[in-house]
Amino acid sequence: MAERGGAGGERGGFGRGFGGGRPRGDRGRGGRRRGRREEEEKWVPVTKLGRLVHSDKIRSLEQIYLHSLPIKEHQIVDKLCPGLKDEVMKIMPVQKQTRAGQRTRFKAFVVVGDNNGHVGLGVKCSKEVATAIRGAIILAKLSVIPVRRGYWGNKIGKPHTVPCKVTGKCGSVTVRMVPAPRGAGIVAARVPKKVLQFAGIDDVFTSSRGSTKTLGNFVKATFECLLKTYGFLTPDFWRETRFTKSPFQEHTDLLAKPTGKLVLEEPERNDA
Amino acid sequence: MSQEGDSMEKLKGLQITSLDDDEEEVEEYNMNEEEDDDDEDDDEEEEFVTLGFVEKPKNPWSLLRQLFPSKAGSVPAWLDPVNLPSGKACVCDICGEPLQFVLQVYAPIEKEYAFHRMLFVFMCLSMNCLLRDQHEQWKRHPEKPSRSVKIFRCQLPRFNPFYPNEPPRCDGTDKPSGTGAALCTWCGTWKGDKLCSSCRTARYCSEKHQAMHWHSGHKIDCQRMSVSSQSSDCPNKNGTTSANLQKVASKTLWPEYEMIIENESEPSAEMSEDKACTSSLVSKEKVDDTMNSLMDSFEGDDDRKSWASFQERIGKAPEQVLRYCRNGGAKPLWPMSSGQPSKADIPKCNYCGGPLCFEFQILPQLLYYFSVNNEVDSLDWATIVAYTCEASCEGGVAYKEEYAWVQLSSPSATVP
Repeated sequence: MAERGGAGGERGGFGRGFGGGRPRGDRGRGGRRRGRREEEEKWVPVTKLGRLVHSDKIRSLEQIYLHSLPIKEHQIVDKLCPGLKDEVMKIMPVQKQTRAGQRTRFKAFVVVGDNNGHVGLGVKCSKEVATAIRGAIILAKLSVIPVRRGYWGNKIGKPHTVPCKVTGKCGSVTVRMVPAPRGAGIVAARVPKKVLQFAGIDDVFTSSRGSTKTLGNFVKATFECLLKTYGFLTPDFWRETRFTKSPFQEHTDLLAKPTGKLVLEEPERNDA
Repeated sequence: MSQEGDSMEKLKGLQITSLDDDEEEVEEYNMNEEEDDDDEDDDEEEEFVTLGFVEKPKNPWSLLRQLFPSKAGSVPAWLDPVNLPSGKACVCDICGEPLQFVLQVYAPIEKEYAFHRMLFVFMCLSMNCLLRDQHEQWKRHPEKPSRSVKIFRCQLPRFNPFYPNEPPRCDGTDKPSGTGAALCTWCGTWKGDKLCSSCRTARYCSEKHQAMHWHSGHKIDCQRMSVSSQSSDCPNKNGTTSANLQKVASKTLWPEYEMIIENESEPSAEMSEDKACTSSLVSKEKVDDTMNSLMDSFEGDDDRKSWASFQERIGKAPEQVLRYCRNGGAKPLWPMSSGQPSKADIPKCNYCGGPLCFEFQILPQLLYYFSVNNEVDSLDWATIVAYTCEASCEGGVAYKEEYAWVQLSSPSATVP
């Protein structure tokens, strides 16, 4: 027990407890830390959803999407979607004017995807390129969305294209995606082509308009477009949905009850 | 006359300036403000924080009260073993159930009367109570505070009737100077005032625990206990080095852990840069709509920003469960930006009337270590922050109640 032998002269051998420490070079990295690598790999979940995923109660991302639960820890996505690959789209230097000249930071745009129906996009700014990229990857994982794929004509084999014509807009850039027959490939500019490859779409015709030179808007417009694929009501969704219980229901606020007795009775019943 | 006065005031309000100058001045002023914000962030980073990690106790006797441990889960190691909290203080004010022990922190300060100083955290197991507690928490200066999370502070001078004056040897042979009060057989936490009427051996803190113990086995054991108690002495429940782990009958107590103390590693300059990054820092020439729109959806609103910086800060030591910092200017690390108390929300000390200051906060990793269920109605919080008397006042009750602020994770925005 390292803290017992602390240099508290007035305390004798009594422990310093909390609040006894001041930054000291010798005591910095104590015994329990076996190495930085081990700590980084171990994930201790902080949110309830994280705990459910950690204990394997939730097996797929789709369960989370079904109930629109906010994903706050990127390790959740790591665990449920193991084949995620990432790609840096652009590193853009941005500058801030200070008294002593200009301070440059780097803004990183990262796209992640598993080439099979999940894409995410993240943007992070930082003083160092590596930190910006790392932060952007985490943000991209937090923003992973499902992509719906469909057929152009005959429903043979696996879905390969968008289910219908969809369009997404951001700023002045609009991107329109049109279903394409098999073998057409992704007919798009370099930037959205990357995103669509990550999404797992094999064939699509695209058409864009506006100032596509601004990469931020262009990428975000394709992202919006992909988001809409599951928002489009097609005849197969006409059947009424049977709602299932979410892994954890959002807590409803208890209405303020005037009499104390009523409040006491309810929780007791719950406990029993 | 008044009309003339009004028009004079209106004329005074008029200023003749050129529009361009105004805009430039405003923008430059904003830039200066941003710089000041950066400096403030840097200062905040330098607050020295001690972290608490949980580990399995090394020996069965490591967490007994004569060793002044910091621990989490199971039963508390009461500092003052005789003058325990009783009556209304032990129960949840909302549902009436006795509170369950969460953790205790050994945090002595440089005062003679607080040579030994321990802070205990208790909370009610029910999530419904925690939700109602949120309502109560936001009430300022209520007549009778009714909380489901309670924090107690106990302090003793070095020379006290309960423990020897010399430091413990930590080899399994330490004993306190006297025995403590008898504790409840079911929870092992609170004072066992009430006796079981048939065997006169089992003690309980409340009727509820007596009923629970009866139904889960005491009915059968009661006969045997009353016979054996006449022949031999009951094993003492406090302080002896014999195995006292089996004495608690309740199955709902959380697993026991020892709390290890470590300093937080120095935040690098890089960290503070990243934090300042979240405010707008694109230079004047490059500001355009694309930047703003991108930032809005991908860098998020206030809640997401505070969550992101919270994750970054704990990412260096993801297993931490407690953050301790009693310095004057210390601020807790808030996971959410909503649900934070203002200065006026924190009341004054109940006993001395002095102000309260932030001392430590409990993080949700503890729920993972306690293996709390993830059902609909199980406990879940974002952080519990403890505010204690700044002067750590002395006198009066042995266990003084302090103030707890609970922040729940808000069911907020969905994935974009």
